[in-house]
Amino acid sequence: MLKCTINGKEVEVKEGSTIMQAYYQMDESIAHYCYHPGLSVAGVCRLCIVEIEGNPRPQIACNTMVTEGMKINNASEKIKDGVKWVLDFHLINHPLDCPICDQAGECGLQEQYMDFGKYNPEMAEPKVKKHKVVDLGPTVVLDSERCILCARCVRFTDEISKTNELGLFNRGDRTEIGTVEGKSLDNNYTLNTVDICPVGALTSKDFRFRQRVWYLKDGNTVCNGCSTGCSVKVYFNKEGFFRVKPLFNEKVNGHWMCDVGRDIYKFVNKEVRLTKAQRKTAGGWTDYSAGSAVKEISKSMTGTSALVLTGQYTVEEYESIVSTFVQSYGSKNIFHWINNPNNVDDFDGLLFRGDRNPNTKGVLKVLAKHGIQNQWSDLVSKLGSGEIKNLVVAAPENLAVYPDLSEKISLFNKAANLVWFSTANSSEYTNLKEGAWVVPMKSFVEKEGTFINFQGLEQKFKKVTTVVSEALTLTEAAILLSGKELTLQKPLVNLIETQRRDDQVLLENRKKNEFVFKRGNL
Amino acid sequence: MSVMQNNSRASKWYLPGILGGMGITMAHLLKNLFNKKQMTTLNYPEEKYDYSSRFKGNHVLTVKKDGSLRCTACMLCATNCPAECIKIIASEHEDPAVEKYPIHYEIDILRCVFCGFCEEACPVDAIRMGPEWQTPGLNGSEFIYDIKQLAYRSALKGGVPSHVDDEERHKAGI
Repeated sequence: MLKCTINGKEVEVKEGSTIMQAYYQMDESIAHYCYHPGLSVAGVCRLCIVEIEGNPRPQIACNTMVTEGMKINNASEKIKDGVKWVLDFHLINHPLDCPICDQAGECGLQEQYMDFGKYNPEMAEPKVKKHKVVDLGPTVVLDSERCILCARCVRFTDEISKTNELGLFNRGDRTEIGTVEGKSLDNNYTLNTVDICPVGALTSKDFRFRQRVWYLKDGNTVCNGCSTGCSVKVYFNKEGFFRVKPLFNEKVNGHWMCDVGRDIYKFVNKEVRLTKAQRKTAGGWTDYSAGSAVKEISKSMTGTSALVLTGQYTVEEYESIVSTFVQSYGSKNIFHWINNPNNVDDFDGLLFRGDRNPNTKGVLKVLAKHGIQNQWSDLVSKLGSGEIKNLVVAAPENLAVYPDLSEKISLFNKAANLVWFSTANSSEYTNLKEGAWVVPMKSFVEKEGTFINFQGLEQKFKKVTTVVSEALTLTEAAILLSGKELTLQKPLVNLIETQRRDDQVLLENRKKNEFVFKRGNL
Repeated sequence: MSVMQNNSRASKWYLPGILGGMGITMAHLLKNLFNKKQMTTLNYPEEKYDYSSRFKGNHVLTVKKDGSLRCTACMLCATNCPAECIKIIASEHEDPAVEKYPIHYEIDILRCVFCGFCEEACPVDAIRMGPEWQTPGLNGSEFIYDIKQLAYRSALKGGVPSHVDDEERHKAGI
């Protein structure tokens, strides 16, 4: 361990770490663009200059090692002035089209300008014109004029995705990011380059122009795209969910996530969701409220019941529904619907896995806990022989990864009483048998719970927001199925009574339009 | 609730007050009869008052020389709007020089408080407050103005061009 002093505070850092890492460790602010903790050091933006005692010139923090007793300072006027001038050089050819730039609001350039800039530009030369709206590939659009040539994206494709698609072309102020002719930026990790771009040069085609970022709220959750279970941030507002970005998690995903996982917001939005419980009748569908539908279902559950689980619910939900079946219905006919048995163990070497369920380990754990070891063929034979009367299916959220959906629906239709719990709406539901129920469920952003990823790591996540307020969690459905009522937790203190002012008009008086104030006599 | 009553002797003398009021009315009547030009009221639907050119009335979306919208859908007006009455949906333009433009621009004029913040926020002089204010409608939907109404209504005679033209903006380095 080395001792050094940063802005007057002593800190111990690991041997071989850079000044920038020491700043990160201290949580001190330092201006920088090209340095990214997940990538190698390039030292091209020159913005992270610091003063080192005994050294006549400012040094860059990202590429200078800490030595014993080093005294580092970036709060002096000299450094602030230096950063300001470096920033002016960055802005020489930057178009300053913040109003139409998608990055505005979360832009590194805007942030540094507000911290260090606020000057009148002294550059009289015309700006160098570069290519606008360059189509780099199926997911990313490049605006070369906005680029400040930090080369984070180039280093990402070199070091992380190892696809080497991007490069720096031309020289001097005509340098541009680009791909080799005939090649395009096309791999499963392209949108990470958009995340790490400190300016609006790389933009995602999916999110481009859809929302200004200051209209979005965010919430942390766990990606349910595959069994890796990356930590992600979802961005939403009252119109729905708009994008997903990775959140740093040392144990699982580091700084990155795959492009497939970025689409998980698409099956959460209201347009593709089941919004009310329905029962299929001869003519069409009859609407129910979700709670009353499950109560009706619990009354009709006579005879042998069976449950089909998919790996897309939380551990807590599995626990409650499985124990309901084992205890209330006395049935151990619980089966695990595996969507892609052939490529379950596929892995692309970085993050993306073939098992497209976030919680396969969770199902297996809960089933093992209750000592249930059923084979899928048992279900097929029991349905064929008519032994199973009632079948409850906890259907997947992400229907796109269940290619066998229609085939399975025709199998499940053999049960006399079919109950389909699902978040997603699908045209396939028209093939459900007459008398079948569909009940809306809450998606992964609307509930809290635990996913167990492929490593066996339990990741808890919290509720982000509510999209379909009518929907139930599987836990709530299990409580209703077991014949109990859902109870609202009472607040600890009765706020309405304790917060009433002494002279407040009572509700009864208000209804009669009597404004009787207890203020004594005039 | 209680009512205070003035029961003093002086309050019984109401006739002088009434006669004073009638006198004022009579003076206005005579003044308006013999000096019509200085009459303070207007025969409203036929006669209209000329407001100052800086009057902030209904919005106008300005257009470029070729008649297309100047608006770049940056949504700064919608962000700045205190009444939250502006709704914009942006889209990608096929011309890379334009890049972003509104496919949908709505102002709910009944919610609008005519503060002019949208005009102030606009970086490209795309929205202005115009002189019109007498805009009746038969139902609520007639008060939600879309692009057709805001930029190309017949009163604007094919759209209002902005004083900052594209070439001038380039020369000015904007």
